[in-house]
Amino acid sequence: MKILIIEDEKGLRESVENYLSDGGNLCETAPDYQSAIAKVSLYNYDCILLDITLPDGNGFNVLKYLKENNNPDGVLIISAKNSLDDKVAGLEMGADDYLVKPFHLSELKARLMAIVRRKSFNGSNSLIFNELVIDLLAKEVRINNVLLKLTRKEYALLLYFIANKNKVVSKNAIAEHLWGDGADMADNFDFIYSHIKNLRKKLEEAGAKDYIKAAYGMGYKFTDQ
Amino acid sequence: MKLLTKYNRVNLASAVAVLFVTGLIYYKAISYILNDQVDKDILIEEQETFTYVKQNNKLPKIEQYKDQHIFFVRVNGPVERRFINTDYFNPKEHEAESGRGLITSVQVKGQTYQVTIIESKVETEDLIRIIFCITIGVILFLLLVLSIANRLILNRIWQPFYNILQQLRLFSLTDNKDIAISNSTIDEFNELNSAVTSMASRVKTDYKALKTFTENASHELLTPIAVINSKLDSLIQAGEFNAEQSSLLNDVYDAVARLTRLNQSLLLLAKIENHLVRDDQVVDMKQLVENKINQFKELFVNKELDLKCDLTAKEIKASFFLMDVLLNNLIGNAIRHTPASGTVEIMLNMQKLSIKNTGTGAELPGDEIFKRFSKSANSEGSGLGLTISKQICESYKFELSYDYETPYHCFTVNF
Repeated sequence: MKILIIEDEKGLRESVENYLSDGGNLCETAPDYQSAIAKVSLYNYDCILLDITLPDGNGFNVLKYLKENNNPDGVLIISAKNSLDDKVAGLEMGADDYLVKPFHLSELKARLMAIVRRKSFNGSNSLIFNELVIDLLAKEVRINNVLLKLTRKEYALLLYFIANKNKVVSKNAIAEHLWGDGADMADNFDFIYSHIKNLRKKLEEAGAKDYIKAAYGMGYKFTDQ
Repeated sequence: MKLLTKYNRVNLASAVAVLFVTGLIYYKAISYILNDQVDKDILIEEQETFTYVKQNNKLPKIEQYKDQHIFFVRVNGPVERRFINTDYFNPKEHEAESGRGLITSVQVKGQTYQVTIIESKVETEDLIRIIFCITIGVILFLLLVLSIANRLILNRIWQPFYNILQQLRLFSLTDNKDIAISNSTIDEFNELNSAVTSMASRVKTDYKALKTFTENASHELLTPIAVINSKLDSLIQAGEFNAEQSSLLNDVYDAVARLTRLNQSLLLLAKIENHLVRDDQVVDMKQLVENKINQFKELFVNKELDLKCDLTAKEIKASFFLMDVLLNNLIGNAIRHTPASGTVEIMLNMQKLSIKNTGTGAELPGDEIFKRFSKSANSEGSGLGLTISKQICESYKFELSYDYETPYHCFTVNF
């Protein structure tokens, strides 16, 4: 998978690059408007992470350039401007998703994977991880052809984990993913614990391996290694 | 009091006072002149009498003129010569009249006679009366004309002022309309006009600068938070951590999460205060409340809260996003502050939305709770939730109030 990161903030750009570029992913970066235009006019990417505020131009113009040239690359806008107008404008101009800074890298990866999956359907709408087969349209999970009964939150959690496989996902990131604005409620971590416990149990009972590992009390890691 | 009324009042009062004083002076002057005329007539008569007595050495025959009468009375001793104002009986007219008289004396053959010459003042007084009436008439007419003219002219002259006032009333920082310049022939109004116009454009420029500042501040602040966040996410991939390090990292995560929420709350508050959220649409409140309850279902279940709902359909025209924030805050607060196994009651009807919850402790200070960063000691919120809720309600002219009906804390939004 080929990803272009257009972001002027060096610290953030590097973290994103490091986080995304493993498991066969190739990341390229552009710190400003000029180099971004140069890259997108030369190469195609599976997904472009686009910061709206660039030192020498507006990120919206990059988006405009892509659409004018019928570029099929997926675009995920990352912006500090948490304004509805920007969000609406961005999505109307053809961006695939909009993520507000600050965000968790795991959330970014999950959104990015969702865009890439949507873009490259290839006639199949299922996501396969070892013995797990997930039908993304029907939102169904099967293990060895046995249907798993998951709640909405458990399903979201599983997808989130698979998108971030082999990564430690913090409890804060999970809370924000599952509850969004309601994430500041007190007992969320208890809920995460019980959701994960249930998910694990269901996976195990259906004959899957135990992929969910607790990571030093900070979060969880979904891995088959 | 309107300027016109005030002006008219002062104007009329001074006009009446001045006219009254001049009327008085006028009256005095005319009566003085006419009295003087009468006195002269009387003096001529006195002179004629004296001449007659000197020539003939006897009293003249009493002749009765129409308005002049003379009487002779024999007296012993001197008579003081003086003018008098008196009433007398006019035999010709057969009625009592007021008159002006002169009492003097004359010597005829060693005998002193008191001579009284009286001239009727009826005609003089009639004349004064007529003059006085005409004056009063003129005064009243003048006042009438003045007040009508004032009303008409002033209303027209002040029209530009009322135009400016109307424009100021409609002035809004957030729309793009400028104050239109309406030309007037009056310099003062033109000055006021240009001052108001330049003030409005200055305010708009400042406001725009402030808005840009807010946006920039949000960007500048959120970017480093984003960097911290992403570095933390990268750090925990790095390898093994012992319990102490994990606990430290968890604390940092929590702090960053709080910092993020705080910053977002402040930005949201600034946006609401500046009326920058304007995606108004018809919002189905019943549906929204039900969604929220569903979203918080786990929390209700987990704390074993008893939830009572009484919802009727209610649609309002508002920003969906802000209504969502409002319900999030109010219902979230109710859940957060209700002790385990407590009760939360949510009621929605055409007039109001009320959210009640049983709580620990006594009544909250009604004014304090809506202020920024006012929160109970054990609250984990940002301290901005109720301030934001209040601002949202105010921007839609709803009324958010707090009551304590033992044992319920009750927050009510009156639509």
